[in-house]
Order: sequence, then C-alpha cells, then structure tokens
Amino acid sequence: MMSTASETSRPPSWPSPTAAYIHIPFCRHRCGYCNFSVLAGRDDLADRFLEALRWELSRLEQPQTVDTLFIGGGTPTHLPPAWLERLLQLLADWLPLADDGEFSVEANPGDIDRPRLERLRAAGVNRISLGVQSFAADKLRILQRDHDEAQARTAVEQAAEALGNVSIDLIFAAPEETLEGWQRDLAIAAELPITHLSTYALTFEKGTEFWTRRARGGLRQADEDLELQMYQYARQAGAAAGLAQYEISNFARPGRQCRHNLGYWRGRPWYGFGPGATGFLAGQRRTNHRSPTTYIRRCLDGSDPAQECETITVEHWAYERAAFGVRMIEGVDLEAIRLDTEVDLRKTRSQEIADCRRWGLVRLEGEHLQLTEKGIAVADTVSAALL
Amino acid sequence: MQVRNFCIIAHIDHGKSTLADRLLEFTGTVTKREMKEQLLDDLALERERGITIKARAVSMRYEHQGETYELNLIDTPGHVDFQYEVSRSLACCEGALLLVDAFQGVEAQTVANAYAALEHELSIIPVINKIDLTHARPDEVAFEMEQSLGCEPDTIVKVSAKAGIGIEDLLTTVIEKVPSPGGSADAPLQAMVFDSNYDDYRGAITYIRVMNGTVRKGQKIRFLRAGSEHEVVEMGQFRPHRTSCDSLQAGQVGYLICNIKSLKDVHIGDTVSTPGKDAAQPLTGYSRPKRMVYCGLFPSDGQDFSELRDALGKLSINDPSFEFEPETSDALGFGFRCGFLGLLHMEIVQQRLEHESDVDLVQTAPNVTYEIVDKRGETLTIHKPQDVPDPGDIEEFRQPIVRCSIVVPNEYIGAVIKLCQERRGIQQGQEYLGPTRAMLVYDIPLAEVIYDLHDRIKSSTRGYGTLDYEMRGYEAADLVRMDILVNGNRVDALSVVCHRADAQRRGRAVVKKLKTEIDRHMFEVAVQAAIGSRVIARETVSAIRKNVTAKCYGGDITRKRKLLQKQKEGKKRMKAIGSVEISQKAFMSVLSTGEEG
Repeated sequence: MMSTASETSRPPSWPSPTAAYIHIPFCRHRCGYCNFSVLAGRDDLADRFLEALRWELSRLEQPQTVDTLFIGGGTPTHLPPAWLERLLQLLADWLPLADDGEFSVEANPGDIDRPRLERLRAAGVNRISLGVQSFAADKLRILQRDHDEAQARTAVEQAAEALGNVSIDLIFAAPEETLEGWQRDLAIAAELPITHLSTYALTFEKGTEFWTRRARGGLRQADEDLELQMYQYARQAGAAAGLAQYEISNFARPGRQCRHNLGYWRGRPWYGFGPGATGFLAGQRRTNHRSPTTYIRRCLDGSDPAQECETITVEHWAYERAAFGVRMIEGVDLEAIRLDTEVDLRKTRSQEIADCRRWGLVRLEGEHLQLTEKGIAVADTVSAALL
Repeated sequence: MQVRNFCIIAHIDHGKSTLADRLLEFTGTVTKREMKEQLLDDLALERERGITIKARAVSMRYEHQGETYELNLIDTPGHVDFQYEVSRSLACCEGALLLVDAFQGVEAQTVANAYAALEHELSIIPVINKIDLTHARPDEVAFEMEQSLGCEPDTIVKVSAKAGIGIEDLLTTVIEKVPSPGGSADAPLQAMVFDSNYDDYRGAITYIRVMNGTVRKGQKIRFLRAGSEHEVVEMGQFRPHRTSCDSLQAGQVGYLICNIKSLKDVHIGDTVSTPGKDAAQPLTGYSRPKRMVYCGLFPSDGQDFSELRDALGKLSINDPSFEFEPETSDALGFGFRCGFLGLLHMEIVQQRLEHESDVDLVQTAPNVTYEIVDKRGETLTIHKPQDVPDPGDIEEFRQPIVRCSIVVPNEYIGAVIKLCQERRGIQQGQEYLGPTRAMLVYDIPLAEVIYDLHDRIKSSTRGYGTLDYEMRGYEAADLVRMDILVNGNRVDALSVVCHRADAQRRGRAVVKKLKTEIDRHMFEVAVQAAIGSRVIARETVSAIRKNVTAKCYGGDITRKRKLLQKQKEGKKRMKAIGSVEISQKAFMSVLSTGEEG
C-alpha cells in the first residue's frame, strides 16, 4: 500500500538539506562488535581518501551552508593532527556551518589529545562524542576497546575543557556484564563533565566477530530480563544526573540534545559523504559503497560511489516519520506529518494506534502521539504498527 | 477359443509387475523392444512406490498343445485400502497366482490376499519367485506357504521373473489348473464392472468381465445399479494397448466406451446388462466405496484455494473413490475436507497433488470416521473432530476396528505384542509360519493404525515386520474430543479424537509444541488442551517486555524500516485466533509432529 503514489494529488516538495554527515573509516583496529565501514591498519590510504572525499563533495557544485555537521566513523580523530586539519578545511570549503550551527565529531578516548582537540576547536567543532563504552577493565577487554578508565576520564575532562560540550557512548548488556558493573559505569559517567549520554545495548550484528563467536557458543548474550533491568536503570540514573532522556537511547542536559540526530528522527533531509554514508535528499535515500577501498576507487575514477538508492515517496516518508519520530520521548506530531504529506495517520493507522493504546504503549493527545513508560521498552512494536 | 482369467497376488516388491511383464513377453503380447520396465504400472507415481494402485486387465494369446488360449491377466491393487476393488477383481477371475519372494517369504499382505482369493473360490497356483537369488531359501519359503496358506509343496511353481526362468511351466500350470470360465454366450447379458479409468478424449473407459451372454458394439446397455443406459460406442481388449473388437462373450474380459463423461457414473461392482425386462439379475457383492480416513487439505497460501479446488477436481475425475468438500477453518482458512479409502490412498492422493499441481499443502492430522449415538438416540457419522458434539450430548462413541495381520521374525514377537497392546489391540491369534517367523492377529482401532502403527512396527522389527488389515466394524470405546484453546478460543484445525487415557499425554505434547511456535504478544497467551470445558494441559507464552532497537540514526532507517515491515507483513499472513496471531508454520509444526511425546 506504500507503493501507491499519493503524490499524484500534489507534487512533492522536498525541503533542502541543512545537515551533513561525513564518514571517516580509519580506525586503529576493528572491535569485535563493530559492523561499520572501517579501515584498520590502512592509514596509507589517508591521502587518497581525502582526494576521494574532495571529489564527492565537489558534486555539490557550490558550497552548502548547513545547520548541523556530524563527522563519524571509524575514528575521525585517529589520523595525525595535520591530516585532521586538511579534512576540516575541506569541509569548511564545501559545507560552511551556519552561525548557530552544531558541529559534532566522534572520537576515541585513546586517540584524542590536546593538539587534536585544539584543531577541532579552531575549526569550529562545538560538540564531541567519545566512544567510552565503559570504564571497567574487564568489560573494555571483552569489547576489545584499547583505552582504560584513566584515559577515558582524562579524555572527557580535556574535551570538556576544550569544547565544553561532551557526549559519551556507553554500551550495556555486554557478555559477562552484571547489573552492578553497569551501575558503576553510570555512576562514573554522572561524575564527569558531560552534557550528553548515549547508551546502547550490545547488539550482535551479522558479519562481526561477535556474531560468529556467539553462534559457536563462545560468547553469551545477556538475557533479556537483565538487559531490560540495565536499560531501566540507565533511564533512572540519567534522570538523577540531570540528563533527561529525549530518545530511546539518548540523554542530555537541557538544550544539549544532539540537533543533528533529532533531524534524522524528524525525517529531515541530509547530505551523506564517505564510505557507507547515507544521505537523504529530494526523496532519494542513497547509501555509498561500504567498502572504503571501493569508495575511494569509484570516486577517483569519477564514478558514483552509491551502492544503494531508494526512492522515498511522500507517503513512505509520512509513515517513516511517524515510526522513527515516535522514538523521541516528546513524541511525534501527526498533524505536522499530515500537513507535509497529506497522510493522516490517525485515519490510516487508526486500528494500529488503537491497539497500541489498548496495550498501554502510547498516548494520543490531540495530534500528538507519545510512547508511554511501558511503550518505551517496546518501541519497535509501536514503530512497526505505524509503518 | 478357450479362456483363462487369473490374477497375481503378491506382497509389495515380491515381483508381481516383473512377472506380468515376462508373461506378456513370453506370450508375444509385447516384444522385448516394446517392453518398458513394469509395463502395467503406467503411472510414474505407482512405479516410484512400487505399488499397483489401479487394476488393469491384459489379454494375451498363447498356443498350448496346438490350441490357442486367451489368457486374461487381471491386475489387482495390492493394498488393503482398495479391499473392495480387490474383491471385485477377484470376482472376475477363476484362478490366482500366489507369488512369494524366495528370500522374503510369506508376508502379511500375501496372507490377507490369499484368504480373499480363497473366499472367492479361486484356484490358487502357488509360485515362488526370485529363485535365482543368492540368498533364496525356496525350501523354507515353501514350508511357510504350506503352514500359513495350506499350499502343497510339490505343487509350487518355481520361477525367476527377472531371469525368465520357469515361465513356460507357469503358463502350462495356468492352463491346466485354472478352470475355464462358465456362463453361456446365449444367456441375457450379465457383465461385472471391475475397474474404470478416464481418457481425456473418449471419456470413461469401463472394464468388464462378461459373466453371461454377449455384448456387441453399437448395442444399448444398462448399468443395473446406477440405472443408467448407454450405447456401446467402442469395445475391445487390452493387448496390451486398446484393441477394438465387435463383441465379447461370456468368460471374456475387455473394455467398453460409451460416451460417459465422468467416472462418477461408472460404479465398480455394477452389473452391465440390457435395457428392458429381459435384463439379467444384478451380480452380488456390490457396494459403494467407503471412505475410512479423512483429513483437511489447505493451501498454505490462502490464495491458492481455487487452484487447489481445480487440482482436486481433476484428480477425482480419475479416482472416484476420493471425495472432497469445501471446509473453512479459523486457523487454516479455506480448504477442503477430503475422504480416502485408507491411509495409503490418502498418501497417494497427496503425492499426486504435489506432482500435478504447484499448490503447497497443509494437511491436518488424519482421522477415521466415527459413529456417535447422541442422547436422542440418533446415530451421527463423524468425519472431522470439530463435529463431535459436547461430552454431555454423547451416549455412545464408536470407532472402526480393523483386524491386523502382522508377520514378524520370531525375535521381534515380544516387541510387536507390546506395541499392539499399547495401541489397545486385542489378540485374536498367533501362529508360526515356519521355524523363524510368526503371524500375529490383532483387532486394533483403525485410528491407532493410521496414527503410526505401521511405522512403529517397521522400526521395532528392523523393517522385517509387515502389516495388513481389514475392516471388522464399529465398536464403542472411551473416546473424547480433545480441543486446543488459545486464550480460551478453540483452534478448530487442532482438535483430535483420542482415547480418554491418552488425552493428557497428547494434549501436553501439543500445547508444549505450540507454545514454542507462538510469537510473544503484548499480552500473555494461554495455550490449553481441554476435553469439553475441562482443561487437561496448559502452557503460557509470556508477554513481550522488551522490543526496542538501541541505535537508530540516519544510516539505519532503511534497514530498520525493512525489518519492521517484514515483521508486519508476517503478521498479516498470520491467522487470528481471538486476538492471538499464529503463523501457518506454527500450525504446520504441530500437525506434522503429530502429538507424539
């Protein structure tokens, strides 16, 4: 039913992107759970990569001012400060940031240092997201992270000094992890000068080392009850530390929500650059080839690095906005969706919404649909109902 | 011309088809070059299973001591499901070759069919086949035949159908031992219909044996039981291909083509005579096919319903003993209730459906036909468990009982006796066929036999045990309808009739299995087995507590959406039992594992 083109009644008018994501594949090593587009031990490709990225950016034809810029990876800060500076200059040339723009960079506690932080600050980066994952030695070892608690603390403190706006990622429900261990991670996080926290239950992705090891019985996935306990604890601990939950996995001090990510959940368009990066513009969702070497080769050959391209009809867009928007704790405005798309989910999904309400998963107040406390833990059930 | 009509009685794999081929070849009915393996079994499926399903009749010509004989070989179905067809075929013969494998020896089916032949007062010619096998033990087998069938050892003809040994002897014995058919060519026409098949161009082809009188091309005939009249458009004999002629007279076997559009109009066992008051008396022994086993057949994709209906319709044109009618199930959607002569017949029909159409089938657990006397004294015939009334309305619950003959090597007697007792069998006899093997005779509920008795006998005797059975009649038993409930709603396709003492064990196994197959819902799901309103087993599917993806950013949206959509599509294909959604796979896994455990 999603394929029926509702745009016949009105030509789609897609907003222009005001956000950009840039994927940097370089990493010191690949962690066992990671399924991102990553190049470990191939720093020799750094220059060619920048050339490839330059070519891809040049397809913009002219610089595009954006409100949010997000450099993710990989580890964008893995390569030397001089290289980092070239990258930042390249982005400044093509994607100038609006005056009150948000500029985020991902970094690892083991890579970040004062010289790099200084370069980021000088280039206008005003938000850093550190892949801390844990402070506990055992858990870090299992997750194959190469930093320790002291490095993580130092990284957070130095980043806070330099940029003033630090987010950290923490993983929970790792193999062998206990609820007590998780509570300790959260307690440490609460002491540190952070403005934002993202917590993710460990997932076993196809193609990763963890996936294979779990299949062979070498890794034991945390059981569902424990995972749920850990998640609920994180929500409590976040609230107690003044980090209010604003999405399923994200917590922030007032005014410190990640605007870039909010754009995704609100269904706003964005540019994507780099291997494996997805962009969404003019009703097309395009994802670049995940292999960094293929990405580089294609760009340097002057051919399109996209591996997948999906057309999103306005109708598609309406349901996606509802399904992903409902992940935000503040909820999703169905009327806003109707105005943009002419799809009124209160009518087209009335049965599904009624079921979710009957099960106590959502509240519908006027045009505003919001997960309940019970619904937060089963948000995918709600998303599926809305799609 | 002198005529001899005979059939071959044999257990599966004892070489009936090969022997028939050799007789056709030896008599010059077909040349070696024309001979394809197992000429008589011309359905690929039959060849696959090594079972002759439908009777055929071949007319051979053979010179013996200066005289030409017409030898008609009437091929009989070997399996008990076709007991009635077998009896009609036997009624058309004066003699039977009792064929036994020189290594395997006498089997249950051999005994059952030999008794049937004796009841029809046929001359039995005992034959031991495969005497050229390295492991042949003809003397022991001859002893078994003497013990179990009363054959005199010195009258047994020893052949190898495969190698062509002893075929001439055998033909001589047929001519000498099988009586020539009686009847008068001048008497009023009286012919037995013993089989039929369907030709896409000519319609029904009716196989007859003329008992009295003469039937001529172009004449009017009347089917005495069906009460219909037709003109004989073509007639002839199978030699082995259809060969037309102008008349057939008393004693002869052949076919009639009368522009009959459906096999439903040709009743096996009917009598062909002439219209009007000069007609002969109908032959005795006529009855309509009795469907003993029923099951539901549903397309696993609901959309294939009309395809399935067409496929079943096509099949029933060629097999009037199979019947079907539309059935609706909450769990499985639209399908058909199908009746079969027996378990093998059911398997054959299913395999044909699979071969001849692309419909993916879900089959409900087979059940037998029950009889119920209700409180008002009325007798109900029950073809599906859902039709069984509530316990309070039942005065008496009756089930069909069959007499099973089981031939086993001596060392497995204990195991088989135990098995038969577990299946509520009552021993009727036990005799030793020879020094190494015995035959056990038990009366056992047919329901137990179709459940898995044959497989269990095979597995507990390392494949050596053989089973045959015949209907005895209906007997009262302590039976119950066991229902499966999901959150209090009955799942119609999963109801079964079983013995009260087995209900709990079977119920527990089903709910346990079903529990693992039902996806968790937003609420708790109770899976129960019940007799009437009394719950005898329960399992609970706990409610979903967590279903949430942690990471969900721009690059994850497409993949995540596809995943969620797949979930949703899957749910759409599910059947709702109350508010519980259950996948087709769940029903299938419960149906296919039966209720063992």
